[in-house]
Amino acid sequence: MQILRYILKRLLFVIPQMLGILFISFFLIKLIPGDPAVLMLGPNATADAVAKLRAEMGLDLPVFQQFMIYLGNVLQGDLGMSWQSARPVLSDLMTRFPATLELVTLSLLLAVVIGLGLGIASAMRPRGAVRKAANYYGLLSGAIPDFWLALVFIFVFYTLLGWAPAPLGRYSIMLIPPQTITGSVLVDSLITGRFDVFMSALSHLALPVLTLGLVNAGPILKATQSSMDRALGSDFIAYARMNGLPRRMIRRQALRAALPNIITIISVLYSFTIGAAVLVEIVFGWGGAGQYAVAGVLNSDLNPVLGFVIFSAVLSLIVYLIVDLLYFALDPRTRG
Amino acid sequence: MTYQDKTDTTEAQAVAAPVLELEGITVAYPRYGESDHVALDAVDLKIRRGEIVGLVGETGAGKTLLTRTVMGAIPGGGEHTSGAMRYNGTPFTDLPDDKSPVRPAKDIALIVSNPRRELNPVLTVGQQIVNVIRHHLGLSEKEARARAVDMLRAVAIPDPESRMDAWPHELSGGMAQRVVIAIALSCDPGLVISDDATSALDVTVQLQVLNLMKEMVAGSETAALIITRDIAITAHYCDRVVILYKGEVVEEAPRDAFFDRPHHPYSINLLAAFAHSPALREAWWDVPPLADGTRPACRFADRCARRQPRCVSEAPALRDCGAGRRVRCHYPVEAGT
Ligand code: SF4
Repeated sequence: MQILRYILKRLLFVIPQMLGILFISFFLIKLIPGDPAVLMLGPNATADAVAKLRAEMGLDLPVFQQFMIYLGNVLQGDLGMSWQSARPVLSDLMTRFPATLELVTLSLLLAVVIGLGLGIASAMRPRGAVRKAANYYGLLSGAIPDFWLALVFIFVFYTLLGWAPAPLGRYSIMLIPPQTITGSVLVDSLITGRFDVFMSALSHLALPVLTLGLVNAGPILKATQSSMDRALGSDFIAYARMNGLPRRMIRRQALRAALPNIITIISVLYSFTIGAAVLVEIVFGWGGAGQYAVAGVLNSDLNPVLGFVIFSAVLSLIVYLIVDLLYFALDPRTRG
Repeated sequence: MTYQDKTDTTEAQAVAAPVLELEGITVAYPRYGESDHVALDAVDLKIRRGEIVGLVGETGAGKTLLTRTVMGAIPGGGEHTSGAMRYNGTPFTDLPDDKSPVRPAKDIALIVSNPRRELNPVLTVGQQIVNVIRHHLGLSEKEARARAVDMLRAVAIPDPESRMDAWPHELSGGMAQRVVIAIALSCDPGLVISDDATSALDVTVQLQVLNLMKEMVAGSETAALIITRDIAITAHYCDRVVILYKGEVVEEAPRDAFFDRPHHPYSINLLAAFAHSPALREAWWDVPPLADGTRPACRFADRCARRQPRCVSEAPALRDCGAGRRVRCHYPVEAGT
């Protein structure tokens, strides 16, 4: 009951949060120099033609009025058109956002496995070799840019060894696309029994997932290590030790105490990587949402950018809601 | 030392060997550019079967450090530099180590003070007791639960069944203290150490808890070491009193003899705090300060009313004075003085 009330309250807050996010991004994007009308009509357009198009697009109105119009459309589920793709932004994002989600979700899973494993092992043996290796890894993963790592992987595994497929999209262009159900190629191809697509998608995912996974494992490793350290130094772990509880149980209790911190880091990374994966998406020709938004920024194509902002904001809010529910489940003190 | 050795020795030595024997325990903290800070200096202590020993000292005397040394959890980079520890004749060094022949909770159990910080906040009371019981006694979940409920009932927790599912933050200080006692006694340890366990409680609760502890110890073969700042507690609950001052044992005596005739000036100093006569208090507490920069050989010299020049130059040894008494002083207060 209490939890329902809590969720309702959270959802109420979502409305002003979304409005704020939209408002700020709208004005920030308007600050970017560049006139879509000029870009759309090309270098040979007359001033008259440009002015006419601007009036058609509503660009001559005051910015605040433009925002209100946009807001009204969004509330009716219309995210506008992208002039580059000449398609509605909503349908563009519906195909592209799942591509990014699939990539980021799998990468984060890999990052969690690496980060959590190394973090726990190094916290349990503060003087061990794993700890030293983990510390170097933490430094390295913070210093190496993801797109550079992606290029190195492509060079080694595609160009030199030929193990990986060409970095062009989510699965081989020779294959007929599977029917779209969830938007995740892996899931859709499995459901529809398209194992050729499934295998191809797996091999195409390998390098980008490895890249983003290795880079994002760093912060998770650091957070796990430091919060495990703190938990292991706490009074109740000392007490558990002095009660002779076995190492396994000590580790589990310490991890349990460290979990809220680790979950926070993972959720922040997840929301962040949705946008930050863009360089890796570009390197692998992924056709993801980040790539779409960046193209929009570069071409003064406003609607894709705002559409991306809305999608990622909604996703972040969902992620944070889940995190709050997890905290709720994890800590008996919040249950009152 | 293996498990095999332990079974061999316990049978033969159980009668003779003290439950806990500490011999020359020295713990030092390395200091940068200085000699080590010796926090415990050659502490000897013997506790016999069924005996309750009170260890008294002020904050900083090393009481908690001594407990933690026994429990294998020396805090803050201290090093156990020398000395031996034996439990029923079996030597041990690192209690929490899974391979130690002497196990915490099963052989030597600790009752901590501040139990609300020591209990795991995300496990129910029942889970925490069951964990300890299952691990040490190898019982099934169901048997362990039944035993845990019995233990909670034994420490006078009302409605023990439903308390099993309580979270630590739902307990009052007194309740949490009882839970910790229940955990400590749940595996029938040979020795229970109470580390200032009742100091945080209200006086009435404190008495209840102490009485409970005494009863539980008396009803079994368990021995107890009660560590406290409050010398009055030892007068009521202990068979023997050991006084610790700045990491050294300064006096040890059977309870009655001690309170009848304390020998060490520091012991008298402690007792004078309870005296009704202000004159007595002043006589033992108002001590002229030492000259600046003096480092007296006797650690108590700066506060000692009986100080003589010899005390500054020569450290007193802990010497036997018969009838189970020991004292570390050049000029102890003995009969007639
Ligand atoms: S040795 Fe001297 S200074 Fe130390 S306690 Fe005895 S009388 Fe006092």
